[in-house]
Amino acid sequence: MVLAGAAFFMGDYHNDVYRKLLLWVTLALGYNFLFGICGQVAFSHFAFYGMGAYSIVIFLFQFHLPLPIAVICGIALCVLFALAVAIPSARLEGFYLALATLALGQLFIVVLNEGGEITGGTGGIANYRLPEIFGLRLRGPWYTAVIALLVVATYAVLARLDRSWFGRACRAVRDNPEAAAAMGVDVARTKVIAFTLTSALAGVAGMVYAFVDNTVNPPIFGIDNAFLLLFMVIVGGAGRHAGAVIGATLLFLLPFWLSPIVGHHQALVFGVLVVLAILLQPAGLVGIYDRLVRR
Amino acid sequence: MQDFFELAVGAAASGCVYGLIGLAYLLVLRPTGIINFAVGEWAMLGAFGGFVLLTKYEWPYPLGMVVALGILFVIGGSTERIVVRPLVEKGAPLLAPILALLGMVVVYRETISSVFPPDPMPVPYALGMGRLEFGPVGGTYQSFFTIGVTLAVFTGAWFFFERTLAGRAFEAVALHRRAAALMGINLSRVMALSFGAGAVVAGLGGLLVAPNTSAYYLMGVPLAIQGFTALVIGGVGRVEGALLGGLLLALAEQLTVRYAPIPSGYAQGVPLVLLMVFLLLRPTGLLKAKG
Repeated sequence: MVLAGAAFFMGDYHNDVYRKLLLWVTLALGYNFLFGICGQVAFSHFAFYGMGAYSIVIFLFQFHLPLPIAVICGIALCVLFALAVAIPSARLEGFYLALATLALGQLFIVVLNEGGEITGGTGGIANYRLPEIFGLRLRGPWYTAVIALLVVATYAVLARLDRSWFGRACRAVRDNPEAAAAMGVDVARTKVIAFTLTSALAGVAGMVYAFVDNTVNPPIFGIDNAFLLLFMVIVGGAGRHAGAVIGATLLFLLPFWLSPIVGHHQALVFGVLVVLAILLQPAGLVGIYDRLVRR
Repeated sequence: MQDFFELAVGAAASGCVYGLIGLAYLLVLRPTGIINFAVGEWAMLGAFGGFVLLTKYEWPYPLGMVVALGILFVIGGSTERIVVRPLVEKGAPLLAPILALLGMVVVYRETISSVFPPDPMPVPYALGMGRLEFGPVGGTYQSFFTIGVTLAVFTGAWFFFERTLAGRAFEAVALHRRAAALMGINLSRVMALSFGAGAVVAGLGGLLVAPNTSAYYLMGVPLAIQGFTALVIGGVGRVEGALLGGLLLALAEQLTVRYAPIPSGYAQGVPLVLLMVFLLLRPTGLLKAKG
């Protein structure tokens, strides 16, 4: 309520920034489940975010499917690709998933750029609007309320999963796969499910994103943002929902402060920041907070 | 047929570069267990070293090459010293140095992109422009130079790991760190050397491929993917695996570009498909580790 209510007191510009912040937080929450809780490194989150955004636009406005069916088709597409990458990669220990998803993320951009009519090439797709639902068209702050709902729903799903047997299985797989296997946890299956689920959540976030700017184009969904997402979770504190929220908020807002000082080289600052975080404060900002509270 | 041989020589040259990147992964992976995502960026640094020393200052090729690779050795070694060793000494989980190196990927890339303009930069051919032909087999000087240098590097690496005491020390560290340390092997030196050597080999790959692709600050990630795929195809257990995998990958890519009826950009999908197929069907790679 508070998250959504805040939107009604903002101007257009701040509303836009606020919506994107909420979307980053959603993505960071999902990625934190995969990386922080299940211990897997992947770079495909933005590819799935983009897959969700592009698929809903294409299904709605080129195939003219009704909204619910377009949503289901989009999610199915994300799940299909996630399974195709995760099943081979999870068979082995090591960082095969990281490299495979890096390749997937790279390829996704190529497909968007070369997709011709269907994906609109380098210019992407624009000039479409959210279809009416029961004769209502959500606009302005009301659409921001939809995004707030997305954040809360994502958090609710992930927090529930985290507390269930599946969350414990994920943590066990992260901390000690051999012990987890000995306790009867199917390590490979746990990894595949965690990856597929968080990828689908990213896809849903992408569908919501598609109607924020009412345009989708390739640069947003590139590898750079996938790195940034990882950095957000590390700096905030991997494995903690609060960490994902703090990290996403901080690194999203940092460029607004930094740009007068360093111009367009904020990515360099992020890189240095994340290396320092790993060296000096592996538990992230949440770890600092914990230590202060304990004193 | 002529066409096919031309393609094969070109593919062999790119395959050699992938093999070098794969070897750079392997040099770090073997003694430390760390998958080092920064190898692609090291290759990018090698290419930019070539641009600065050979194009801008017009140094003679051998001198420029040696100095550029020397700088990369220092970069690799100091990366290990500053970013990796503190974590290993603290007993952090293996994921920590891997993530720190991932951060370094961005640091390297953004440093280059803030120092140089964002356009592709030219790097000269080692032996100048020109073609060499043996009967039906023909290719550019640069292709044959790349193949020759790569074969020399792989022979050296094979000799080092199989025949010298220092190579055995690397192997021992890979097998059991504590036991190796107890046998009097200097762990820190082995790790620093493995990163230094990895950076040199990756940088060499970048320098060799740069005349064809130009030095470009985004060239690292595709090379990192291709090198890793080469490693998975060939198998991580043997040094020669990386080269074999690189050659197969490059051949598959070139055949796709040449004969498949799809836009050539989609050739970037070839490593991903091969990666998936090999992980599913033959996760140990083509060459098995010696028992």
